[in-house]
Amino acid sequence: MKDDHLRQRRLVYYKEDLDQIEKLLDEFLKLSNAKGSFLIDKEGHLVTQRGAVQQINPETLSALVAGAFAATKELAKLLGETEFSVMFHQGTTDHIHISIVGNRAITATIFDEKTTVGMVNLYSKELNTKLEKIFDIAARRVVKEQQMEPDYSESVKDKLDNMFED
Amino acid sequence: MQINYAKKEVSCKLVYYGPGMSGKTTNLEIIHEKVPDQNKGEMTSIATEGDRTLFFDFLPLDLGRVRGMTTKFQLYTVPGQIYYASTRKLVLQGADGVIFVADSQEEKLAENIESFKDLEDNLAEYGVKIDEVPLVIQWNKRDLPTAMDVEELEAKVNTVNAATTTAIAATGEGVLNTLKLAASLVLDRLNAKTPGADMAAPKAEDKKEPKPEVYVAKVNKDGISRSYFNQYCQVQYRLSSKTDSVDDFKKFTLDEKKKLLESLINYVLLLQDAKKRNIQASKAEIDTQINTFTKKLSSGKSLEQYLKDRKLSLDNLRNEATKNIIIGKIIKEVIPNLNARLKIKESEVQNFYSTNQDKFGDKDIDAAKPAVLAAIKNARKRELLSEFYNKLGRETNIQIFHEKL
Repeated sequence: MKDDHLRQRRLVYYKEDLDQIEKLLDEFLKLSNAKGSFLIDKEGHLVTQRGAVQQINPETLSALVAGAFAATKELAKLLGETEFSVMFHQGTTDHIHISIVGNRAITATIFDEKTTVGMVNLYSKELNTKLEKIFDIAARRVVKEQQMEPDYSESVKDKLDNMFED
Repeated sequence: MQINYAKKEVSCKLVYYGPGMSGKTTNLEIIHEKVPDQNKGEMTSIATEGDRTLFFDFLPLDLGRVRGMTTKFQLYTVPGQIYYASTRKLVLQGADGVIFVADSQEEKLAENIESFKDLEDNLAEYGVKIDEVPLVIQWNKRDLPTAMDVEELEAKVNTVNAATTTAIAATGEGVLNTLKLAASLVLDRLNAKTPGADMAAPKAEDKKEPKPEVYVAKVNKDGISRSYFNQYCQVQYRLSSKTDSVDDFKKFTLDEKKKLLESLINYVLLLQDAKKRNIQASKAEIDTQINTFTKKLSSGKSLEQYLKDRKLSLDNLRNEATKNIIIGKIIKEVIPNLNARLKIKESEVQNFYSTNQDKFGDKDIDAAKPAVLAAIKNARKRELLSEFYNKLGRETNIQIFHEKL
């Protein structure tokens, strides 16, 4: 129970998982004809991004998407739902489709007139099922030994000191 | 926290919490202003027209590559107003560290306490105990005239012995220090356990270092700690207040504090001397004193009501009674011919009456006599007592640290 809880709190992504995730996202973008997609964890950290969306600040997008999702969840509760699994915002040229993956991640997909919200929604459902499987396997895997440098924390503190001295 | 070994990235979430208008957004604005461009992203605020935070403010910091890992801090603020309870909770989700920005002003004390409790409750909803999360309390607005002493704030708000800093966020003072401290607490946690199955948060005891006790005076070997002294001041104020309604927290000037410290030192001297003489106050004696005291309460007020009005505990009152009993006993023992010395001549009564006539209204000397006798007796007792204290003081090693008051 305690381990579960803590695993939820600290999200660790390894290369083998991310390679698979990125492959799935690329396939999804091809099929749905969307511009790009972000995978975000529920706490607002970006996991990865694919497609032609480099001009969008991924950190801010992640924070806002996670915040919007959390707020929508409260809205769902008011209606007696546990959560709304899909959100869609329509702009004049660009639109965003937000969808929850399992209980710890969110995909945010940007698309324009080259496709439709129906297509994005359809393929994102398939994508989510596959992503959930990867997360499940990752969560059950025996966690690897430490890969961080032993003096990592101290080095970050030094860096903070230097940064604020400028 | 997210550790992304594939992208070689570590991303931590720090949340600025606290009551409305305590300066959380200001903290972020200052950080945004002071951090070099290459290390920061855009600051995003979801605010109302009145500039109050509606959902959250967000500022991403990017420290660049450190030991092979790109290191990022995501800074969030929560809306402080009470009615945004649910949004506060949402923003808190997954926080790796919390900075509680408290407003030091006296009139904001209740709001600070309430917000701190709210933080505790909201963390608990995510299964996190407040003394387990890396937490820094920032006593902000130190420059304002009504700012409370840090010690008082510590005692009333910081119930979990969290690390604290002081700040004047509006001028930038203390802002970066607070962030650095919070970041190091989070990093220490990361260092301890990465990221294996054994990820249990360190126990609160591990991270807490006992705060060094600050002494305001030493009487022989007994030190008077500042926290004890502060408590003593409040109790004395509540006991001696002319009315039954007392302030939550009374502020004292330095001179008042010096006087109170002197009286406390005398009390400690007295207790030390009483111990040597094996003089004690028995429970029955204390009970009698309390009973007599209760009977004298104006308009038949109950003792419970009196204590409640004056924000005192029964123990406060019993301690006071103990002190009086011990004083009485010691005086008898150490002052030879006490009764003789307390004997008052008729001429003294007349003298006192004529010099203080205005205090007795239209009472003639016979009607005023009991009051005059009591007044002279009390004054003489005080004199004898202070002689005694001086004598004790001369035999004692007393150190006073006025700068710590």
